[in-house]
Amino acid sequence: MTLVATAAHATPGGSPATPRPRRPRPLWPYLFIAPACAALVFGFIYPLISVVRNSFYAGTVYELNFVGIGNFKTLFEDPIFRTSIANNLRLLLTVPVMTVLALAVAAILHSGVRGGVFYRAAVFLPYILPAAGIGLGFSVFLQFNGGLNQSLRAVGMGGLAYDWLGSPNLAIWSVGAVVVWQQLGFGVVVFLAALLSLPVEVTEAARMDGASWWRIQTRVHLPQIRGTIEFFVVLQAITVLSLVFTYVYILTTGGPSNSSSVMEFYIWRSGFAQGSVGLANAAAVVLLALAGVLIAIYMRLRLRDDDPALR
Amino acid sequence: MRALPRLQICAAVLAASSLVAGCTASSQTPSDAPTTGAYTDDPNNAELTYWYWAESDAPGANDWMKSRITEYQTKYPGVKISLVPQATDTLIGAFTTAAQTKSGPDIGTQWATIPVLSQAWAGAITPISDLTTEAQRSSWINASENTDQGKVWGVPLYIIGIPLAYNKDLLTKAGIAKPPATFDELLSACDSLRAAGVTPIGGGNKDGFFGAWFFSNFGKQNLDTVSELKQAVIGTNDLSSSKYTGFYTAMAQLRDRKCFNDDIASLNLDQGSAVFGSGKSAMSWGTDGMISNWAKTLGADKIGVAPTPKWGTGKLADVYNTTQSSSAFVTSWSKHPRAAAQFLTWLHDPANVTSWYKATGVFPADTTFDKSLMSTDLVKSQWALTSLPDAVWLENFLPPAVDGDGDLAAGQTITSGGTPAEAVATFVAAAEKWRTQNPVEVEAYTAWAGR
Repeated sequence: MTLVATAAHATPGGSPATPRPRRPRPLWPYLFIAPACAALVFGFIYPLISVVRNSFYAGTVYELNFVGIGNFKTLFEDPIFRTSIANNLRLLLTVPVMTVLALAVAAILHSGVRGGVFYRAAVFLPYILPAAGIGLGFSVFLQFNGGLNQSLRAVGMGGLAYDWLGSPNLAIWSVGAVVVWQQLGFGVVVFLAALLSLPVEVTEAARMDGASWWRIQTRVHLPQIRGTIEFFVVLQAITVLSLVFTYVYILTTGGPSNSSSVMEFYIWRSGFAQGSVGLANAAAVVLLALAGVLIAIYMRLRLRDDDPALR
Repeated sequence: MRALPRLQICAAVLAASSLVAGCTASSQTPSDAPTTGAYTDDPNNAELTYWYWAESDAPGANDWMKSRITEYQTKYPGVKISLVPQATDTLIGAFTTAAQTKSGPDIGTQWATIPVLSQAWAGAITPISDLTTEAQRSSWINASENTDQGKVWGVPLYIIGIPLAYNKDLLTKAGIAKPPATFDELLSACDSLRAAGVTPIGGGNKDGFFGAWFFSNFGKQNLDTVSELKQAVIGTNDLSSSKYTGFYTAMAQLRDRKCFNDDIASLNLDQGSAVFGSGKSAMSWGTDGMISNWAKTLGADKIGVAPTPKWGTGKLADVYNTTQSSSAFVTSWSKHPRAAAQFLTWLHDPANVTSWYKATGVFPADTTFDKSLMSTDLVKSQWALTSLPDAVWLENFLPPAVDGDGDLAAGQTITSGGTPAEAVATFVAAAEKWRTQNPVEVEAYTAWAGR
């Protein structure tokens, strides 16, 4: 009976003689995903909602008063926050720098230079060092009388011996340089892996056609690893936007005179050092929005790659 | 002494305290007379928990406290004390959380003035003046830092002074017979020292603390009382006037006369102190502990200490800079307030304050310790300054947000080449931001300022 009914139901264009009772959907599969859902809700969604909610309140964690968009108004009137955003945008300029440098180093290493394995390890080493250690090292190296300036003076270039961390005009760029130094190795490894995965036939064909090394890199290799480059650029943009707190904290503590503060540092200081929970949450919302824009750009790029109609 | 971790946490205290502020604070009746009769617990029979912090200021403090507890328990077998050393980063946060639920230690520790008073305003502290007699407190130094509404809320255990230290040989090399006593003499000394090829003042202000010390050392000198500063912080008085922030002009003068080491903006406070400690500068400000360390490397006979040169014309210009740093207090929820107070009072016995000094080398906040232990002229000079009455550490009176965004940042503005006007604007903007962003804190602070 069941077989007949199923057959009738399966007949194209046909309709079953008697409506088949709908079988209740089993609930037990949901048990398997429940822990993951709970983790997502409590670890991500709830904090996210809390951050957005608290951004409309002022006061302390113990006593919050609704202030509407007051925190956002205060944020954008606060010169320290404006400086922080500007500094994050300045740090975005390090992304093309580290991308170009990483591509160049990866291309050279891919060309089979002697001692390539050593150089690859040497370039990658900073990436696996703890950011706090890097910050401490550079905070000494970049002092006015630190290693860098002593070296410059020793070779007669004392005119370039600036106060890299103590000058309001230079501090954020010094932070950016350290970030480039640290992240470069990651870029090299990523790009090198992409280059090594390319089919050698295409490169060989180009070489046989007389293409120069430069032409092979720019016309053969780069187009093929475009997706990897896009991935790296977006990832690094998010990194310099929302993952540079350690560098700023250790290298400059946001100074001098808040000149090297970034949004993360602003959030930390507002929320934890000064007890302005609402302001910190509002700043976090702004940071989240900016990171969201970058993620959206990346998703758009990925979709375009996957769907030729979007190209 | 304020340091960055404390700054971070102070805000939380001030904020959290406001929850219960008002209701409890107003219920405390100012009184000079001890009211121990209101407490009926047996002081000789109790189990006490003590949340303790001091090791960072005074290495050896934890071992000293353990030995004192052992001795106390031997003396009073009915009393058991559990010592729980606290971490710097969580000192305020942990206690604030305990205060919310009215459970936790019988004896707590916070830093002096705002951190202690905030907990008092929140109703988390039983005033020690209600549990002790005036005679018992008569030898305590700087108890005024934790005094409000006629009550003493915390027990000072040790004190830290910040004199101007000078290298006798380097001053002599520049033809300077005695340390500068006035600001003009300081400027003149800078010129002489520079001419002799010596860096006049060593310091580090990358973290802003050199500037914060400058605020405490010079910023108070045009004030007659700290109340004037409180009124300026809440906006009643004009914070931008030279009375409150004119010292940035003096700081800029020192910078322009090349009084500071050329890398002051890129060194932290500790790194900057090493400039003096290594004999590379003629003068520097340092805590008593820092000076003890400098004496080990330079020789105690090579170092002298003096008050900060006089710059201002207010009454506080003649007052020294000392703070008790951390303070102990009896919590309001303790079931054994008399037992806790008895233990804290016992720590001030002459034998105990003397053993503290032996163990840590940091001056106890008590005049009764054995002065014969001070073996060098340097230490005696330090003590002569540190024990001066009515000392004020002005930074203790700034809300953490104003201290961080204003005080520290404004000082950095000067050492990194900015103008006094920019520094003042930074300070004033920080105070204005605090007033608009922290209404609950402002309410508690304003009530305090009005008393």
